[in-house]
Amino acid sequence: MSSVEAPSQAPSAAPRTRRQRIFDALDERLGLSGLQYPVPEHANKLAYSLGGITLITFILMVITGVYLTQFYNPTVGGAHASVRSIITSVSFGQFVRGFHYWGAMAMIILIGLHLLRVFVSGAFKRPREFNWVMGVVLAGITATLFFTGTVLKWDQESLEALEHNIEIGKILGKFGFWFSPSFGGVSILTRLYVVHIAVLPLLFVLVVAVHMLLVKRHGMAPSPFRKGPEPEPTKPFTRHLMELGVLGLVLTGVLTILAVLAPPPHGPAPVAGIEVTKPPWPMLWIYPVEDWVGVSGILWATIAIFLALFLVPLIDRGSERDPRKRLPMMIAAAVVVLTIIALIIYAAVQPVASHIGMG
Amino acid sequence: MRAWFAAVVILSGCFVLTIAPAASAHEGEENVPAFTDVQEAIAILASQPELMDNAMDKVGDAQESKDTMGVDLALVKQASAALDRNDAAAALVLLERSIGACPGAAVLEPKEPPRNPQPLSSPCPNPQHLQGLSRSAVGGTQEAVFLALAGVMIVAGLLLVRRIR
Repeated sequence: MSSVEAPSQAPSAAPRTRRQRIFDALDERLGLSGLQYPVPEHANKLAYSLGGITLITFILMVITGVYLTQFYNPTVGGAHASVRSIITSVSFGQFVRGFHYWGAMAMIILIGLHLLRVFVSGAFKRPREFNWVMGVVLAGITATLFFTGTVLKWDQESLEALEHNIEIGKILGKFGFWFSPSFGGVSILTRLYVVHIAVLPLLFVLVVAVHMLLVKRHGMAPSPFRKGPEPEPTKPFTRHLMELGVLGLVLTGVLTILAVLAPPPHGPAPVAGIEVTKPPWPMLWIYPVEDWVGVSGILWATIAIFLALFLVPLIDRGSERDPRKRLPMMIAAAVVVLTIIALIIYAAVQPVASHIGMG
Repeated sequence: MRAWFAAVVILSGCFVLTIAPAASAHEGEENVPAFTDVQEAIAILASQPELMDNAMDKVGDAQESKDTMGVDLALVKQASAALDRNDAAAALVLLERSIGACPGAAVLEPKEPPRNPQPLSSPCPNPQHLQGLSRSAVGGTQEAVFLALAGVMIVAGLLLVRRIR
């Protein structure tokens, strides 16, 4: 007999309360007690909850995104006006848009920190190499969601982002056909909208499913920092889920405050053929690279970063997880992270430059 | 006399060397359609009004362009006068109207601007587009309610985290 049926069959000394009987009824049908498998105690620390909070942020993005799609017009002639309408006329439109905007920022930061934590704690090592690859794919999908979302608001910043996208399509030659404004029967803005609201979220869910199945299969990676009794005490996974739910509540509160007090900007309608804006800060590190090598720098720098991330399990192959004993890898990662931060700051203080046509 | 002659030659050479690159840089600008110049001036004023000098250059180029199709030069001239008065907002509206665009109207196709402007008498759907929309607050009682809810969520969340641990 499966463990799912066990609770209802077990003889009980005390009469079951109403709450317990409801749980038993649900458990018999849904197998909820199957979620009570043990996970190590350190799983409930904040650093080990970042992946779960990222997933909660994604769910919040889907909810707010569904609301926004009711009022957004994904055509080049109507997109800008519809965003203005969401801001000025739609009930809760400005708030929901602000929440979506700050949620996107939070998702970028959270997935970046999650990746960094997995790297530092060596959680990508055998047998979890493939799950690291899945995590990098999820980071790529998140970045693409951020980029397509930036284009959809259809102000000057959006149009320039799209024009860079089209230029990269040209650099890719035949392989960049999808980015051509002349491909397909509808405008590229409409196609990017479909990618933003359907293709990428679907991909995200599928890859997350594989990611979580692999976490379940291999279990949580041991923490290299833990000092305490061996074997490490465990807690039920449902406890971890409760903690994630509570952290999600705190995150929702923080995003609400940001959406109310710092609503996202929306510029005037875009004008083609000129570059007068800079990209939003998560993409700003690429801006100086463009200054030096042109639009192709976006392509090559992005490929280099993701290639390096994919190769991490092959480069750092030893069984040692303690970061203090993997100094070369830690130094390399610190150099990369600090370089990206320095490039963002450098780009923020640099004057606006024109890149399209530089190659 | 020779010294004077040499000085004149050297100064002339310096003058030519200084002016020539600048002159050649502007060579061919009259071949750029006035429509494009006006669009670029609009983009500058809308996105970076502090670069007003650049916008003025573009407005000047538009007035000197050989290809003025789709542009009402009288309105461009008025926009130029507005820029001289440092009135960027008025210049922006005049420039938009000079190419038949309603203020705030979206570009129809990237890199392919419409070359047949609407008649200037046509009404604009949303002429208030430039008024304080860059960061409009949620405002009103909504704002207080949202902030109160956020406070409850954060406090409850932090208390529950402690309890769970």
